[in-house]
Amino acid sequence: MSERFKYDPHRESVNAAKVRALEALLIQKGVIGSDSVEAVLDHFETVAGPFNGAKIVARAWVDSAFKQRLLEDTPSAIAELHVAQGMDGAEGEHMAAVANGPGVHNLVICTLCSCYPWPVLGLPPYWYKDPVFRARGVREPRAVLQEFGVPIAAGVEVKVWDSSAQIRWFVIPERPPGSSHLTEAQLAALVTPEAMMGVALVASPPPL
Amino acid sequence: MKLQHALGGLENLGPVNTDVRVFVEEWEKRIFGIHTVMMAESTHLNGALPAYPVDSLPTTFKTTWTWASLRTGAEAMQPFDYFKYRYYEKWLMGIGQFFVDQGYITAQELSEKTGHFLASPGEALPVGPNPALRAQVVDYLLRGDSGLRARLAAPIFQVGQAVTVADPPAADHTRLPGYLRNKRGRIDAVYPGAFEYFVSTGPDGLEGPMPVYRVVFDAPEIWGASMSEPRTTIYADLFEVYLQPPDLSDGTLS
Repeated sequence: MSERFKYDPHRESVNAAKVRALEALLIQKGVIGSDSVEAVLDHFETVAGPFNGAKIVARAWVDSAFKQRLLEDTPSAIAELHVAQGMDGAEGEHMAAVANGPGVHNLVICTLCSCYPWPVLGLPPYWYKDPVFRARGVREPRAVLQEFGVPIAAGVEVKVWDSSAQIRWFVIPERPPGSSHLTEAQLAALVTPEAMMGVALVASPPPL
Repeated sequence: MKLQHALGGLENLGPVNTDVRVFVEEWEKRIFGIHTVMMAESTHLNGALPAYPVDSLPTTFKTTWTWASLRTGAEAMQPFDYFKYRYYEKWLMGIGQFFVDQGYITAQELSEKTGHFLASPGEALPVGPNPALRAQVVDYLLRGDSGLRARLAAPIFQVGQAVTVADPPAADHTRLPGYLRNKRGRIDAVYPGAFEYFVSTGPDGLEGPMPVYRVVFDAPEIWGASMSEPRTTIYADLFEVYLQPPDLSDGTLS
């Protein structure tokens, strides 16, 4: 059993060599092309990523009718915006938004794996994939949020969304105080993936 | 019972990891990419809603690889190992083993080639672009693989109805979070249409298209009042086979 708790001292270099070996063998054997992995990685640099979610949230902040449509029919509302194509593509075929407000805070989680709305948020960060977050977030979300630096007032309802079927959830965070002078693009720049999953608030911009 | 099927609610794990990075080592990008290419050329896409040309793709990959494949592997891990290894380390173990098990490569080849790249980490990968596969990868990412299908039957449950979560036999793979088994909730929404999961989960119950519901639970119903935080509501999307009418004898069926 004690071996189980040891790591290979060359853990990362072996991992790196193994994945390179695997990719080389798969290219040699015609399973993938030498440009296949780059095609995937390019997609997450240019098409799918949190830059889309940030634009959607900023629009919801400046246009309350759009926000209402986004909550009622998330894919249709997103389709109104000029964000990248593919917003109903892989891992975003069925997305739904929920909104934080004065009396409610939302937290998105996937206790079985790491379901995440790829088109609007890109790939999940390590905190989201961590088994400790996934284990604790559904029972003690306030304690978990406190560890993320987000204290939740006693009167606020916490809603936890466990993604285990087709829906991929994301959160419309609250617009921060002191942001009324910002343009929509400047607002989008404030929005983080963490805020759109519920483990962060959107910080106010520096004072004028 | 597998720990990975019942992570929700596990206690005494210590603080959460707040690392916001998606990848912590450069190599992790490559295994993520390999996995996604496999999904884009998987034979199961024959039945996808977008008409993908998987049969005619110039690839030697002629096997099904979906999220269910990756998840089933992670759920089969020794539970201490599941916590020990980082997310993409688990992917690398699972995907490497898959290609060996399926006969695409041998364990010896993988081991020798790994040794080779350990000794020569800067050596370039073989060159052999595959434009048709590249196009399929891009198309798959843009158009996805929705599980939405026509309903075979009307949904059994309606919005507002009380339900009890089923407790099906343990299986290799499930989409039922373990902490919800036998708990009482209420139907919050009935999603349009029906959804088909990638595979049958056998005695666990996923098989063919079925309605999916958003079910709402009060935290004390799941954890007990003493172990719950105040004003906490849990929503879970559950396939119909995972739900049952509540016990009729207590008279609370709405």
